Amino acid sequence: MSTKHKKVRPVYINLFEIKLPISAISSITHRLAGIYIFFITLPLSLYLLYFSTNSYNDFMMLSNSLKNSFLFSTFVTFSFLVYAYHILTGIRHLLQDIHIGESLNASRASSYCVFFIWFVLVFFVIFRAYL
Amino acid sequence: MIGSTLFYLQRFSAVFLLFYTVWIAIFFLSNQPLEYNSWTFFTSQLEFLVLTTLAAFTLMTHAFIGLWTIGTDYLTSRTIGFLNLAIARYAGLIRVVYTLLFCLLGLFFASMILFIIWI
Repeated sequence: MSTKHKKVRPVYINLFEIKLPISAISSITHRLAGIYIFFITLPLSLYLLYFSTNSYNDFMMLSNSLKNSFLFSTFVTFSFLVYAYHILTGIRHLLQDIHIGESLNASRASSYCVFFIWFVLVFFVIFRAYL
Repeated sequence: MIGSTLFYLQRFSAVFLLFYTVWIAIFFLSNQPLEYNSWTFFTSQLEFLVLTTLAAFTLMTHAFIGLWTIGTDYLTSRTIGFLNLAIARYAGLIRVVYTLLFCLLGLFFASMILFIIWI
């Protein structure tokens, strides 16, 4: 049994040392966004739906806090942008499930495409909401 | 058989929720700025009530499969072991608690959706 090893094998895996390919990043962030949507965006939507349809006063209260509270409006905007991100990467996954864009190059290109569309959306929303 | 059923349930629920979201988004985009009257009219019509009820059930299916997949992928002794070996011994317990937690939350959210739109 040889004890001479040329390579030093890693005994633990440092998550910060691993470089994920772009398609893997879009996949893992799709999952993270899904978790965020279930635990944050969904209850937030229920809160918004309940108070916006409950009475005119509650509707105006919500409307005013969205206009006046930077923190609340940013939180709501961010939560729905995460939902938009989940939808965009989700469409990419659905297309791959029906065998569209499955090759390595197409998968990379569609990841960049999804990121680009989402960043355009983010800038558009920031522009509309704050500028 | 169960695996492919879950696979198709996940995809078809995704497509339904996609169209539901687009439908809601079109309403918001075509009613700017949003008025109380048009919003309550929209949310009290039968299409909204029926489609939102369907969306509540579809969402729970979609979220259950997604979160369950994440639990079985990452909350295992192998993956938690990368972070901490002592905690990794309780991976099975952590996963069961996590699964119970999101199942209960999902049932609560679904019943809240139905409560808000119908009552």
